[in-house]
Amino acid sequence: MVFSFIVMPLLVAAFLPLIGKFSKKLLPDVLTNAALAFLVFNSILLVKPVFNQGFIVQNLHWLGEKVNLQVALDAFNLFMLFTISLVSLCISLFSIDYLEHYGHKSTFYALFLVMIAGMNGLVLVPDLFSVYLFLEVAAVASYALVAFGLGYDELEASFKYLMLSVVASAFALLSITVIFGMTGSLNFQAVAQGLQDLEARLVLGVCVAFFIMGFGLKAALVPFHAWLPDAHPSAPAPISAMLSGLLIKVSGIYALFRIVYSVIGITPALSRLLMALGTISMVVAALLALGQKDIKRMLAYSSISQVGYIVLGLALGTPLGIAGALFHLFNHAVAKGLLFLNSGSIQHITGTRNLEELGGLGKMVPVTAGTNLVGALSIAGVPPLAGFWSKLIIIMALVQAREFGYALVAILASILTLWYYLLIQRQAFFGRVAEKWLQVREAPFWMSAANVVLALVCVLAGIFFTPIFKTWISPAAEALARGIQQVLMWGL
Amino acid sequence: MVIQIILLCGLVIFSVLAILLKDLIKAALSLAVASLLLGIIFFRLAAPYAGVFEISVVAGLITVLFILTIALTKKGDEVTEARLVKLAFPVFLILFLVIDGLVMKSLLQKIPALPSGPETGTFGQVLWKQRTFDLVAQVGVILAGVLAVLALFRKKEEDRDE
Repeated sequence: MVFSFIVMPLLVAAFLPLIGKFSKKLLPDVLTNAALAFLVFNSILLVKPVFNQGFIVQNLHWLGEKVNLQVALDAFNLFMLFTISLVSLCISLFSIDYLEHYGHKSTFYALFLVMIAGMNGLVLVPDLFSVYLFLEVAAVASYALVAFGLGYDELEASFKYLMLSVVASAFALLSITVIFGMTGSLNFQAVAQGLQDLEARLVLGVCVAFFIMGFGLKAALVPFHAWLPDAHPSAPAPISAMLSGLLIKVSGIYALFRIVYSVIGITPALSRLLMALGTISMVVAALLALGQKDIKRMLAYSSISQVGYIVLGLALGTPLGIAGALFHLFNHAVAKGLLFLNSGSIQHITGTRNLEELGGLGKMVPVTAGTNLVGALSIAGVPPLAGFWSKLIIIMALVQAREFGYALVAILASILTLWYYLLIQRQAFFGRVAEKWLQVREAPFWMSAANVVLALVCVLAGIFFTPIFKTWISPAAEALARGIQQVLMWGL
Repeated sequence: MVIQIILLCGLVIFSVLAILLKDLIKAALSLAVASLLLGIIFFRLAAPYAGVFEISVVAGLITVLFILTIALTKKGDEVTEARLVKLAFPVFLILFLVIDGLVMKSLLQKIPALPSGPETGTFGQVLWKQRTFDLVAQVGVILAGVLAVLALFRKKEEDRDE
């Protein structure tokens, strides 16, 4: 059952180009959405067994013989799988109407599913080299998807993204190689055990630095963020949503913190370093976002800033900090997915993303405007939306750990966030309607539907914050906070 | 020892050829030969894991992707390189060789030796029994590469017909 997260998207992706030969639209739409709906359902089904047993380790058997295919699932990666499945289902619903003018839906969906298979694989494998390989699966698909429009900007952004991403992968691979050299193994448990018995702090320090450079580049932490404000806005809206909502978190944050917490073991010095990086990202990107005129570019900078919050909470290392960060990861995936899809709707409706040209759209397209407002307020941290609670918990955790300086900066960055999101609202949706927008109509059904579903998730996760946090986020945070003990428990 | 030196020299020569050759197909093939030699070196140094990764990923998979992409690009798409770029590579190569000679030995000594014995297992055993998941991921990478080529080299006119 756990393997279906990797195998199913790959299988559907392999057949989609063939199916696309005789059904250009209907079958690719139905198959992709059905596959993703199945994955959401599957991740919900897994909640009970994972929470009862603490973790699931599955080996694949083929004709009665054990094949060396092993996945490990605990509350932390189940949380990631659910987030990936839910957000990508909404994004693929949005794509039904959005992709009409791009054409070649089957190829797009196939690449989209390969990217999801890559992310799911990365989350599930308990082996360093397999982590790298699945990272590449997701990355190769995403390079092509960024350039899917084939325009000059798209190709340029994709190339820039490719070049920096390859450097990131190289750093991660280099570090994996050195760890393999030291411990003679790639398996999480054996590496964690091996590193405990080894006195090689200097070399291990170099490895961690390489991991931070590699995965920090993937997560677009300042100062490794240069590629993101180009790559994310240039991609088609569903892919921007996918990259900002999920990919940077899975291939950057998940990979970094899974390795740092569960394999290497976090130290106070490393914690301070990551907290500093998170805080710098949070503030610098928020300031950069203020000056942007292109909605998608502003959202891209906002992603860097919010990733800063997540890193700050995770690096703090207290159970409350980790829980807040994980909840913020979920909220940001949903809300940023929503906002990027929404910017796609705006571009579809008006043909522009330039804030200076827009104005007064709220009266003409209430669904698009309303869902945008919900997403923006959730990320900015306005109660009772989900983003408020996650930011509050991160700040509370900082205060609890007596990190008052960091807490103050987090509050100030939150005010900056609210400021630039209100700028979008004021310039795009409020005020007088410009004459050229008097004839605009609401986005097509599936685009609006995807926006509404994501907006509802933002609202419901805020209202039902307590049960969600207790039953779902806290176990995930505990799994991570247990450090290498968690991996040693798996008995791989 | 002699075979090892020949293999290492071959590795450097084919790697340099991969960068210097103008014909892209020849350059891609040189790269494949270079990684094949590297794979053999890994096997001879009793590191079948590394050998398997090198031969299956770099020599096999990546070469296929390169050749596929080159086959799909038209003639006349060549990019003329600036003189500075042509000069830069030999300079970097020499610089790298100097740094390598001066620093690498002492750096390698700092890395603690393997606690476990050398890896055992034939190519087949390592690939099919021990690293099976990597094959799944490689299928994913190949699929992504093929789909990327399909997506990026599609005809835009067809889109409008639909």
